[in-house]
Amino acid sequence: MKVLTFGWDFPPSRNGGLGVACHGLTRELFTQGVEVIFVLPKKQETIGTPKFIFAGAEHKTTVIEVNSAIAPYHSGSSQVTSVIGYHTDGTPRYATRSMLEEVHLFALQAANIARTQQFDIIHAHDWTSYLAGVAAKRVSGKPLILHVHATSFDQAASNNVDPSIFRIEQDAFNAADTVIAVSDLTRRIIIEKHRIAPEKVTVVHNGCDTFTPPVYEPTLRELKAQGKKIVLYHGRITIQKGVDYFVRAARRVVDVDPSIVFVISGWGDMQNQIVRMVGEMGLSGHVIFAGALWEEERDRMYQTADLVVMPSVSEPFGLVPLEALQHGTPSLISKQSGVAEVLTHVLKVDFWDVDAMANHILAAMRYDVLRTQLATHGRQEINRLSWAGAAKKVVALYRNLLNFITT
Amino acid sequence: MLSVCPYFHVHQPYRVKQYRVFDIGNDTEYFNDNSETDLNNRRIIEKVANKSYRPTNKILKELLDTHPEFRFALSFSGTVLDQFEAYAPDVLDSFKELVATGRVEILADTYHHSLAFFYSVPEFERQVEKHKNRIESLFNVSPKVFRNTELSYRNDLAKWCEDNGYLGIMAEGWEKYLGWRSPNYVYSPAGCSKIKVLLKNYKLSDDVAFRFGNQAWESFPLKAETFADWVQAHHGNGETVNLFMDYETFGEHQWEDTGIFNFLRALPSQLLKHPDTSFKTPTETIESYDSTGEYDVPDVLTWADTDRDLTAWTGNDIQRDALGKIYALEADIMEIGDPDLTEIWRKLQTSDHFYYMCTKWSNDGDVHAYFSPYQSPYDAYIAFMNALSDLQLRVVSKVGVVREKKIAKAKKAQEAKLKKETAVTVGRPEPKIGLVTVRITWKMKLESWLRRTVTGAKIWALFNRNKK
Repeated sequence: MKVLTFGWDFPPSRNGGLGVACHGLTRELFTQGVEVIFVLPKKQETIGTPKFIFAGAEHKTTVIEVNSAIAPYHSGSSQVTSVIGYHTDGTPRYATRSMLEEVHLFALQAANIARTQQFDIIHAHDWTSYLAGVAAKRVSGKPLILHVHATSFDQAASNNVDPSIFRIEQDAFNAADTVIAVSDLTRRIIIEKHRIAPEKVTVVHNGCDTFTPPVYEPTLRELKAQGKKIVLYHGRITIQKGVDYFVRAARRVVDVDPSIVFVISGWGDMQNQIVRMVGEMGLSGHVIFAGALWEEERDRMYQTADLVVMPSVSEPFGLVPLEALQHGTPSLISKQSGVAEVLTHVLKVDFWDVDAMANHILAAMRYDVLRTQLATHGRQEINRLSWAGAAKKVVALYRNLLNFITT
Repeated sequence: MLSVCPYFHVHQPYRVKQYRVFDIGNDTEYFNDNSETDLNNRRIIEKVANKSYRPTNKILKELLDTHPEFRFALSFSGTVLDQFEAYAPDVLDSFKELVATGRVEILADTYHHSLAFFYSVPEFERQVEKHKNRIESLFNVSPKVFRNTELSYRNDLAKWCEDNGYLGIMAEGWEKYLGWRSPNYVYSPAGCSKIKVLLKNYKLSDDVAFRFGNQAWESFPLKAETFADWVQAHHGNGETVNLFMDYETFGEHQWEDTGIFNFLRALPSQLLKHPDTSFKTPTETIESYDSTGEYDVPDVLTWADTDRDLTAWTGNDIQRDALGKIYALEADIMEIGDPDLTEIWRKLQTSDHFYYMCTKWSNDGDVHAYFSPYQSPYDAYIAFMNALSDLQLRVVSKVGVVREKKIAKAKKAQEAKLKKETAVTVGRPEPKIGLVTVRITWKMKLESWLRRTVTGAKIWALFNRNKK
């Protein structure tokens, strides 16, 4: 079985959960005997978006790179400036296109690839690849699976949904043979908002890596030495992630227990707003902005924290609590997250219920046994949420589609 | 001869509301949720009264009226009786009517449906005593047979029952301890000579309590006639079929639309169709049959889950933490001796609180989720621990006051004593000193006479010789 996959790049690119998910799933598909042709937007110099690094070390994968400046977590109208060539004097030539134009360009290139490659199934990850998937299907007539890691409703936290992205999503879902949603939460959005037939949408929860990471020297040692407890937010600072609710809960918590320190690790378009909010609420002495932490620094922070909070307003899945558990730290997550469907040993609250969030944070800080049990039981629980399990479900979907096509 | 011994357990806990950390030190009401959720105790009592207690008692009364042979046993937690009294007094009256027929036995129990026996025997005894008094004043009967919370049982509990004058005790009839033997006989608890143990026939009991409304069950829908046949099949290889279950099976665990009420209504006449089948209360069962052997249970046995142990209440760290902390208050609570504080402390001992914190996620875990008013075991733990933290604060401050009072009292007593002693010395110094002086003088005079005079010396020598 050969699958033509359109997706985003692999780690260690610094782009959040999407790359991690694509990588984990693809790796396990190999081990289960699926051959994958992975089409990625080509690494190129860009301005205003993070740098891309390619893993490149994936054996057995055919990686095809196409010229595109597609970046995830952008709105359709955001401008992407790329280097498209060089002047004779060596200075680069820029072209500024909208994300939408890039997505269409990617689709055009996808059609070309589909004409030349041999494959049985098309699998496209995230909205930037949907049109590419559809184009490949038009050219080849092969069945198409769209893998929904997020929808336009999540990105916008339900307000101001980008109509152009919504349009692409809806058209692509209609054209696809099967739509995979990363959670039941996302599946319901696809059914209710995009009006896609329920039988067409299947849930395959993301998995997680289950190896035990190395133990690092703790950070924030001075605070720890003073007996202070640390509550961590890790993620992009955008409206979708609910950081503002986290700050409001922090205010409630500090009123009761001023010894608790809140760390915000991440970057994003709401960063200035949040910094201002922290100042206005008189929390400057209790909130630390750690900037965007990656790899070892991030893991060190996970290990140092006493509790990790994921207050997302809308989270299709949410890898943060899984990563935290891998590092032995318990989590408090919003019920509006897909991962809440698969995790039982976490604290769960509604993102808007600031009071409940503060109460749970305080309880976790007060009752040590609660934290220990959440961490130990949670660690056992994530061992059952492997990528292999997710890949197995995807393979079953492939088989199902192929049977359907052949008979 | 084959007799059937039905026994229904009636219980509702005082559920702890979503008591938050902010409420600690500010709110002394832990059980007064008034939301539209299942944490609202009044709402639950009213709901279950309509779904279960009222219709079931009506049927049971009809059955007692139409079948003079029909009899059964009930057990009540004190917490459900208190809530009936407060929220549904008519339900309590209907139970009194049943008991007044003289064919409904009431069992002894702990007042607060607690696991106190396994944590503090003195506290357990106080709760059993309180329960006994409550039953006597409400129903005018004295319990003779004991059942412990969740049918929890162990050899030493049986021994306690024997030492405290009970006729018998109820337990789960579990293969691990029965071996090849049948639960349908009467046994003697290991280490006891007088009392007997009645064993629940869990297969037949759970057919009604758990499986009755399960459409996937091969015997669904279960007819009273079929069930009566299963019971009658024990003629010749058993003496008593003990059907023990939650009272709320009727109408609450098994809803009316499963046909459970019709089943209950039809069952006695179906069973009595057989001329040699009768009904017996636990006391009658114990008095009618001899023990056929020993039931030896060294570890805790309960009627819960597939494990039949205490792991549903004490299986994880948060449960053990909460239990440990509640019983750690015992000495202080007893020292304070405040009835209101003691009552709150005991309400927090009710086993249900710890059951809600269970994290066994097997098939049993689903059962736990179904019966929990909290969204997760962790929410249950947080609400409980927050309320307990408030209670701890109150205990610490009260115990401080009590101790200060005690110290002040002791100080006062000491001062009074000192004062009295001083008063004695000052008021009557002469006789004391005078008496001593007189005696010593007389002795000294005698001795000097003995030593100085000849006669005296002779007598002195005589004395000393005798001494030798």
